[in-house]
Amino acid sequence: MDAEIKASSTAAPDPGEKPQGRKFAFRKLFSAATISVMPIYAFTLLFVVGPLVYMVVLSFLTRAETWGVIKEFTWSNYKKILEPVYLKTFYESLKLALITTFFAALVGYPFGYFMARLSAVWKRRMMLLLMIPFWTSSLIRLYGWIIIFRANGVLDKILMGLGIIASPLKLLYTYSAVVVGMIYALLPFMIFAVYSSAEKLDWQLVEAARDLGATPWQAFITVSFRLTIPGLLSGVVLTFIPSMGLFFIADILGGNKVILVGNLIQEQLMKARNWPFAAALSVVLLILTSLMIALYRKVSGVKDLEGLV
Amino acid sequence: MKKLLGCAIVLALLVSLAACQKAPATPSADGLQDKELNLFTWEGMFPEEVLARFEDETGIKVNYSTFDFNETMLAKLEASGGGDYDLVIADDYILEAVISKGLAQKLDLSKIPNIGNVNPIYQGQFYDPNDEYTVPYGAGVLTIVYNPDAVPIEIEAYADLWDPSLKDSVGIIANYRVINGMALKVLGESFNTEDLGAIEAAGRKLLDLAPNIRVIKDDNLQDDLLSGEIDAAIMYTSQVTMAKLANPDLKVVFPKEGIGFGVMAKFIPSKAPHPDAAHKFINFILDPEVSAECFEWLGYYCTNKAADELISEEYRDFLTLPEGFNEDMEMIRVVGADAEEVHTRIWTEFKAACGQS
Repeated sequence: MDAEIKASSTAAPDPGEKPQGRKFAFRKLFSAATISVMPIYAFTLLFVVGPLVYMVVLSFLTRAETWGVIKEFTWSNYKKILEPVYLKTFYESLKLALITTFFAALVGYPFGYFMARLSAVWKRRMMLLLMIPFWTSSLIRLYGWIIIFRANGVLDKILMGLGIIASPLKLLYTYSAVVVGMIYALLPFMIFAVYSSAEKLDWQLVEAARDLGATPWQAFITVSFRLTIPGLLSGVVLTFIPSMGLFFIADILGGNKVILVGNLIQEQLMKARNWPFAAALSVVLLILTSLMIALYRKVSGVKDLEGLV
Repeated sequence: MKKLLGCAIVLALLVSLAACQKAPATPSADGLQDKELNLFTWEGMFPEEVLARFEDETGIKVNYSTFDFNETMLAKLEASGGGDYDLVIADDYILEAVISKGLAQKLDLSKIPNIGNVNPIYQGQFYDPNDEYTVPYGAGVLTIVYNPDAVPIEIEAYADLWDPSLKDSVGIIANYRVINGMALKVLGESFNTEDLGAIEAAGRKLLDLAPNIRVIKDDNLQDDLLSGEIDAAIMYTSQVTMAKLANPDLKVVFPKEGIGFGVMAKFIPSKAPHPDAAHKFINFILDPEVSAECFEWLGYYCTNKAADELISEEYRDFLTLPEGFNEDMEMIRVVGADAEEVHTRIWTEFKAACGQS
């Protein structure tokens, strides 16, 4: 009797019991739940991990005399990045990313902050207004900027009509045009991040600070701002990281004269047929952006990007 | 529920991926009378009416598959060992590789009575010196286009683009071999020099051009010339055609230093399933009237001498070479890895310099 009970209990363990033994793990591997998520793992392995490995391997290969690559190990692709002309593209990318992030924060923080204070109806309306542009291709929206910026375009006509300027400003294909385009493209990410943080803010804390004699400004700095820093930081990450890689804005609004790492990678891949160099540049860019995220986590102590999850 | 949905999405993706793999038409044995033609080229190379007329006259159905880049075409052709497709149109530099890899078959000229119509200036090129494998289709000729109302000087040569009066008003295509090549020509070198010192010198020469450059781009450069954003440009032949059609006052110049050009040519892959149909198609397109229609529509230089006079007045100026044209013409070819390396470096330096000024 006793032995029977023991035998049956080992054969079919109580579901509440902790799983133990290889047999159980093996069975778990084929449970319905695991099998149903298998495609996701396979998908990730195939389409995320696979290409990454391919890229890293490619970056150590040698380019062939005409096209293709030779399976010959080399460090030269990485050494080449250290040449001043290519190193400068990293500098230019960082510079543009910093400028973009700064202005996006300058405009986006107050926007997101005050949006969180609106009534529920207006919050929804604002949200909709921010979302609508995403329904259109970003390329088409950029062409809209061309119409505004180009010689005798919308902006020129307005300014000339108002008598502010006498002759067309040559705005298209300038650095400022690129900066405006970048801020425009990335601002919503900053706004959403700050908004989601400010919305969770307990306004009673601000009221308490005011009751205790703080001026509105003091209350903002010591309470609201402190509590929305995680949102601001994730906004910074969400604008900074993509702006390192966006290349088509510099292409379209900058007339290809601002060379970012993204542009260089695209050109090496599509035109110069130097795949290994393009791969090496991508690997370095990937490492750089990963470092930024690690730094962000360290500074903010937050594990997840607010506004994203 | 969510998991199920996830599975469904993944499945759908996999199925659609598998479907993508099956694009090109499968070869079929039609015997002597080919009833099909598998054409492989860029999108929009022939007017619809021309293809329809060919189908009506011959009873051969045209299956038009497309590629974006010459390199993609080469890879597909290599994968099928020169099969699947009956007729391919691609650029000069890639044809050299196609022929040297044995992926093209010799043409049977007896089946192409119209072959005599081809303008000899575009024949006997490096990729096919004896014209055994290819028949030229459209040609791109590198010209300078400018707006004489806005440019104070008469532009006759590449070197004129360096003139200080053109400050911040020149647009160029983003093809580094063309632009570096232009500087090489100004210095009296060949487009295809492997002399690294000469390429470096071209790079330094280009830095002086930087203040004049307003925009570098491949797509729709003609719009900037038409809107007045730029006053002079080096652009692709099809763009020159569009610009001239929109504004006939623009001037098109054959630069004094020498002409760069490129040819896209037709060839029949080595294991083409329907070579007869391919020969018929080549001959059909070489008919002067059909050619004239194609080139007006395509906007590239006409390579069919018999068609030159059929091209309408409106287009003739910029689709045909002028009477007695006999200048130095040189094609841009693939150069070795070392030269290529210097080319991309000086190009990156040049673009950065354009941004600074």
